[in-house]
Amino acid sequence: MSIRSTALMARKSLRARLGRTIAIGFAIVAGVSFVVGSFVLADSLKATFDNLFAEVNAGVDLEVRAVNEFGTNASRRDPLPDTLVDEIQAVPGVGMAAPFLQRTAQFVTADGELVTTQGAPTFGVSYSTDTELSGLVLRDGRFPEGLSEVGIDKATSDRERIRLGDAVEVITDAGRFPFEIVGIVSLGNADGFGGATLAVFDFATAQVVFDAGNLADVISISVSDGADIATVQAGITEILPPRTEVITGDQVVQEAGAGISSVISAFGTGLLIFAFITSFVSAFIINNVFAITIGQRLRELALMRAVGASARQVSRMIILEAFVMSVIATLIGILGGIGVARLMIAFFNAAGLGFPPTGTTLLLRTILVAVAVGVGITLASVSVPAIRAARIPPVAAMRPELGFDALNTRRLLGGVIATSAGALSFLIGLFVRPGGNTGLILFAGGGGLLLFLGTASVSSTIARPVTAFLGWPVAKLLRTPGILARQNAGRSPRRTSASASALMIGVALVSAAAVFAASLRDTFVRVLDRSVTADYVITDSSFQGLTPDVATTLRALPELSAVSPIRGAPALIDGERTALGAADPAALGELLDLDLQRGGYEDLGFNAVLVHQDPAANLNLDLGSVVVATFQNGVSVDLTVVGVYADAAVAGNWLISLETLEAISPLPPRDFFVVAKLAPGVEAAFGDSAVRSAMEPFPQAIVQTNAEFREEQEAQINQLLLVITALLLFAILIAILGISITLALAVFERTREIGLLRAVGMTKRQTRRTVRWEAVIVSVFGAVIGVVLGSLIGVALAIAVPDSVIDAVSFSPSTTVVILIGAICAGLLAALYPSYKASRMNVLEAIATE
Amino acid sequence: MTPGIQSQGHAASVTNAYKIYGDGESEVRALDGVTVAFESGRFTAIMGPSGSGKSTLLHCLAGLDTLSEGSVHIGEVDLSTLNDRELTELRRTQVGFVFQTFNLIPTLNAYENIVLPQMLGGERGDQAWIDEVIAAVGLGDRLTHRPSELSGGQQQRVAVARAMASRPQIIFGDEPTGNLDSRTGTEILKFMRAAVDEHHQTIVMVTHDPVAASYADRIIFLGDGKVVDEMLDPTAERVLDHMKGFGE
Ligand SMILES: Nc1ncnc2c1ncn2[C@@H]1O[C@H](COP(=O)(O)OP(=O)(O)OP(=O)(O)O)[C@@H](O)[C@H]1O
Ligand SMILES: [Mg+2]
Repeated sequence: MSIRSTALMARKSLRARLGRTIAIGFAIVAGVSFVVGSFVLADSLKATFDNLFAEVNAGVDLEVRAVNEFGTNASRRDPLPDTLVDEIQAVPGVGMAAPFLQRTAQFVTADGELVTTQGAPTFGVSYSTDTELSGLVLRDGRFPEGLSEVGIDKATSDRERIRLGDAVEVITDAGRFPFEIVGIVSLGNADGFGGATLAVFDFATAQVVFDAGNLADVISISVSDGADIATVQAGITEILPPRTEVITGDQVVQEAGAGISSVISAFGTGLLIFAFITSFVSAFIINNVFAITIGQRLRELALMRAVGASARQVSRMIILEAFVMSVIATLIGILGGIGVARLMIAFFNAAGLGFPPTGTTLLLRTILVAVAVGVGITLASVSVPAIRAARIPPVAAMRPELGFDALNTRRLLGGVIATSAGALSFLIGLFVRPGGNTGLILFAGGGGLLLFLGTASVSSTIARPVTAFLGWPVAKLLRTPGILARQNAGRSPRRTSASASALMIGVALVSAAAVFAASLRDTFVRVLDRSVTADYVITDSSFQGLTPDVATTLRALPELSAVSPIRGAPALIDGERTALGAADPAALGELLDLDLQRGGYEDLGFNAVLVHQDPAANLNLDLGSVVVATFQNGVSVDLTVVGVYADAAVAGNWLISLETLEAISPLPPRDFFVVAKLAPGVEAAFGDSAVRSAMEPFPQAIVQTNAEFREEQEAQINQLLLVITALLLFAILIAILGISITLALAVFERTREIGLLRAVGMTKRQTRRTVRWEAVIVSVFGAVIGVVLGSLIGVALAIAVPDSVIDAVSFSPSTTVVILIGAICAGLLAALYPSYKASRMNVLEAIATE
Repeated sequence: MTPGIQSQGHAASVTNAYKIYGDGESEVRALDGVTVAFESGRFTAIMGPSGSGKSTLLHCLAGLDTLSEGSVHIGEVDLSTLNDRELTELRRTQVGFVFQTFNLIPTLNAYENIVLPQMLGGERGDQAWIDEVIAAVGLGDRLTHRPSELSGGQQQRVAVARAMASRPQIIFGDEPTGNLDSRTGTEILKFMRAAVDEHHQTIVMVTHDPVAASYADRIIFLGDGKVVDEMLDPTAERVLDHMKGFGE
């Protein structure tokens, strides 16, 4: 047989087994689509934002701003005096210099409803009369002027139905101000900006509503026609005060792009992990389907050998089949991936994120990865079945039973070795971390893969007893169909374990996440329970922090005995970036319990610091030691250690007083949250209403009792688990599809047997039941192994993270119950088609089948 | 139902049966106006050249297939009046079937295969009768073995026992001994003969083998979808002579 005849046979076989071809194709397409979708989504968003920044800053030639000690966009910069604008304007070659301010500002609609954003920022910005410099495009009305006029971004206007002429209020840190909507704007061509809201004022108004005195955040500059930008830049540099810099518009664009790039990349990488998991699961399905169909074609393949095909030709034919299939499926997968990306953008937009109009960016890198994934996993999946097929002896054409030996190999030993090596490597990756994070990913990731492969292989050894055990109630309950279902599930352990393994992987990952999340949650709750002694925690709805007025207002309440905001600032200590917390030392002792080992809260005076025991040990600090902290504006302060504590959960590693922080940083203060304690003797209900009514002027403030706060933290961790599960859903769906295909092939294989059963009196319903419960037994089998393996992985993860994050392992029995019920449903779902197929079988044709 | 009542009247019959495949040029009349009845408690063989319609007739009689025209009765019941559920029920309780090969479910052991129809119906069955049938099969301790662990003859005996276990009106066999050597075949034929003689079972069997046919009380000869002849109390020699006459 020549290559051409191999190709002919491969083509015929592909066409003859269309159902199988489609099923495998689907598994490949799904994996590839997810991978491509992740890349395209991230690349397209990056390109879009890069374009947007370029467009918005098109008119900006130079920008003046304060120097940030920590490099580009690491943290907020100190504001500048607005008198600098006139000095810059006087520099030769400067066309226009315009100051800008950006703070937070929240709209309250005419109906008194606070406009919220599901976590996106609520910006308040000034614009320049030279609109070229502010990048804002007027879509309707006019730009606001004076103390009663405000503009709004188009996306928010559309979403919240805020129209021109509406009387709204705007809440800033300085208070609550009435405004009239006079203009609707967009940022370049983008209606909105990732779900953020934008309130636009003229500069003088912005200074008032932001209580910014005579300050500006940055000064944007355009050069006059014909002037050389570099020359003008040099001219401006000469007149700038210290710790101030002038950069080009290109650099502004590039920094802004890099900032959002890192966010999008992190998001894209997250998606990509799940995409690869999906592909891995697909590989299982592909492998299993090929293995089964080769078993079914045993006689045909043996016949080919009998008429003179060489062993190599047989395996070559099978590999060629797989290759053709994978190339076509990969191409479809790339198109599908573009669709997935577009769908996700549409989904985000529907959820109110308001992305700018996004093009589709398909990079060569994406195509290469898609081919590697699509063609790679298929060829890898088919290699073992192809080699086995080559071992089929020609005599099997007449006596098929002689051929099956060739298809079965000893798997137990290899499986045990793979499982142990995988587990070992996984643990080494987690606990030893050779070579830092790279080692973690290589060892833990590779070990995880090996662990799954090994477990899948070992599970075929236990498939028979375990399915017999799981099938026992089914057999008891459903009698004959149940007995048959149970026996069919245990009939071909390799196949059962292979189709269950795909589900096992998905379930294992969900279970691991569940154990990790439960441990995280319980530790967190325990820590909060112990360390937060305050009765109230006040947070804000958009993660931007609260105005200090909130704490000030609460301090005035006689019902409260202690109130402190918790603030933070980035700083450099001993050459390392870290975060400093800041609180009110007078109230701290009543509100938080940091598990103080030495020193006292009341000693936290000016330029004093409380330090967690870990950095204290690392830097050899004790009471009276002095550390130097450098802040983003270059200010260095000597801080004297006045206490060492053991609980970093709330305060972080370093804690200074508000007074110290305010002396260092001229940035407008924002409080992460505010904690407060009821005065002795004040009833909870009474205190509650006092606090809540005091907070009424601050709709952005969320008042929670200690218990409510804890519950919310728990709910957030639960939500994280839900998101992970949702992302694994794709892999789980493919696994269900895999069970369905395997079963459909089994039904086809057992045509004669099903015909016989029907002939001796099995009803259609009983036939459907038999298939259905076989599917359920198989999927529950996969789920049980997944839960066991996943929980072990979860335990390892929980132990691997530092004790300050997780100090004890907890399990989540409710998740396990949900998984098992889900597995039963998955089985029922997987059985839909095969059971229908089985019951629709024509009895006469079935018994005539050889 | 006692054997006494069964031995009177017909266990099954077809009247004016036509089974036509395809149409026009390619029309095949597998059954071309067959009218035949099978008396209760008797062993009938159906013979005829390949393609004469023997299997087709059997399938239609057993409710596995439907006629193009004409009617089939099992006992008093006209099969054309039954829906799929009722037909299934009929197959489980009134009819037994033995194929040439692949009669048993590979995952069930011999005993479970025998009582399969009762298990499917969720009934206990007539335990005394089942014990008797099982004793007659003579498998002894091999009863708990799977089909793959049984010889071809043992498998066919289990298949006949399964057909008998529900005390059907009638058992159909399509070349039940066709795949066996003559010694094992004889074993099965004696077993079937005994079922008729001792338990008044009605059996209809398709065969190509004159020796096998000689175990029957009566032979129906089919040719081109028609009943062409009939022979009572046959012997192997008479059947052979007869077949020479028809050129098979
Ligand atoms: N599904 C079908 N479609 C078309 N023709 C059919 C079909 N089934 C059977 N036939 C035709 O009907 C005729 C009778 O077939 P049948 O299987 O009943 O023969 P038979 O007597 O059992 O033969 P054999 O001794 O070889 O088993 C044959 O000519 C056959 O080709
Ligand atoms: Mg036939």
